[in-house]
Amino acid sequence: MIEVTDIRKRYRRRDVLSGVTFAADKGQITCLIGLNGAGKSTILKAIMGLTPIAGGSIRIDGQAPGPKLYEKVAFVPDRLTMPSGMKLIEAHRFMADFYAGWNGERAGELMRFFGLSYSDRIGSLSKGTAAKFNLLLGLSQDSDYILMDEPFAGIDLFSREAITEVFTSELIEGRGVLFTTHEIGEMEHLIDRAVLLQGGKVERAFDCDEMRGAEGKSVIDVMREVYRA
Amino acid sequence: MSYLKLVHMEVHRFRWVIAALMGITAIFQFGGLIATLASELSRREYRLPQDIGNSSIPAPAPDLLTFEWAMFNTQLWFILPMLLSMAVLGLYVFIIWYRDWIGRSTFIYRLLMLPSARRNLYFAKLTAFLLFVFGMVSFQLALLPIEHLVFKLVVPADLRADSHIVDVIGINQALAELIPRKFEQFLYSYGLGTIVVLAIFTAILLERSYRGIGILYGLLYLGACALAVAFPIIFLGVEVPYTYFYPAEVYAIELAMCALVGGVSVWLGTRLLARKITV
Repeated sequence: MIEVTDIRKRYRRRDVLSGVTFAADKGQITCLIGLNGAGKSTILKAIMGLTPIAGGSIRIDGQAPGPKLYEKVAFVPDRLTMPSGMKLIEAHRFMADFYAGWNGERAGELMRFFGLSYSDRIGSLSKGTAAKFNLLLGLSQDSDYILMDEPFAGIDLFSREAITEVFTSELIEGRGVLFTTHEIGEMEHLIDRAVLLQGGKVERAFDCDEMRGAEGKSVIDVMREVYRA
Repeated sequence: MSYLKLVHMEVHRFRWVIAALMGITAIFQFGGLIATLASELSRREYRLPQDIGNSSIPAPAPDLLTFEWAMFNTQLWFILPMLLSMAVLGLYVFIIWYRDWIGRSTFIYRLLMLPSARRNLYFAKLTAFLLFVFGMVSFQLALLPIEHLVFKLVVPADLRADSHIVDVIGINQALAELIPRKFEQFLYSYGLGTIVVLAIFTAILLERSYRGIGILYGLLYLGACALAVAFPIIFLGVEVPYTYFYPAEVYAIELAMCALVGGVSVWLGTRLLARKITV
């Protein structure tokens, strides 16, 4: 389980995170929802040790983050994480070189599934193709958790469909997924748990099925309550 | 193991720039050498006896041409590519970090998420830089025998005399600076250069960790390092009247300050990378 407890961060004299607490379970899809600037990306970066926090704690399966974390948790940021001049085949080699948990066979399958070419250069990929390749890099690690930052931002309908399909496939099964979005759209029925952020704080955190069963509200209904209040 | 892979990756990423610098260096030096020798041979061929001693070239050629003479008269062709290489490698100290943050692909995300200690990244970048510096010096050393061969091919045997490689390096100001004759001097020059690079690395990491205010921290850090290294020379140095210390003691203090600046830079740099860096 990824446990985030009371994390705080200030940036340019502004509280970006003011005591955020939530948990993301293994085997569940947890969605961090919030408008732009709510602190969603900062939370993911903080979990991955890519930005320091001023207070609070982050535990992954009870352990503090460290270098070994990066075999256990894969992160798909909202941008490419490989040099522009690198070919896709070289990026595969790089991942295989550095990550013990890199699954080359799965990476090959995903290359075919997303229709990617090994000889393409990273810098020449379109936004949608880059998002697919980014996702491939994360999904091809045999990790227990996968974090994704805005996996659907600014990409075309067909790329969105291909990525959505991944969420329902065995590639995700059994793993803990934590992703951020500011537009829930077609992802709503896939989410197990939603965490609504506003102004660096958790406004609501709930189990989606329980919410539907107990109050008859969808995630979007709760979002309206929170963000239009 | 991760460290070596990272070193390989850094070298691989900059290989074409270094290859281009080596190419430019070779073209300049061979071009300058051949042009100077051809000009001198041509001048000698058409020179009338009364023109002897009225030469317009900076150093009059002896009766027999030596490789040493050729090296003295082609210094500019050595200095120009050397200055270019120094400028590029100077910029590389910054590029090696900033290129991972800037642009469409932010490779720093991936580098910081590698499942190994982040200090490997720091030392890999430092090693890659030093490899390029010593690679360029070695390349220059390797060029000299080839240039000697070119000299022999261009100058007829009856017009040339032998010269010693040490004299050849000593007479060319560019080579003398690049390859000091005393090993001690070599250690001072390149050791001090490495300490400067370490301090700059730490200043860059301060800026990358604290961004806006980090620029100020970085500049202050560099100022403090410069002061620490210069302090023994300026305030305790042998030129200072009524100094309390013997020259050997000032020398020891200077060495200690250099070691301190290098050590603190590595410690702070790796700590920032592990705990404070932000993407």
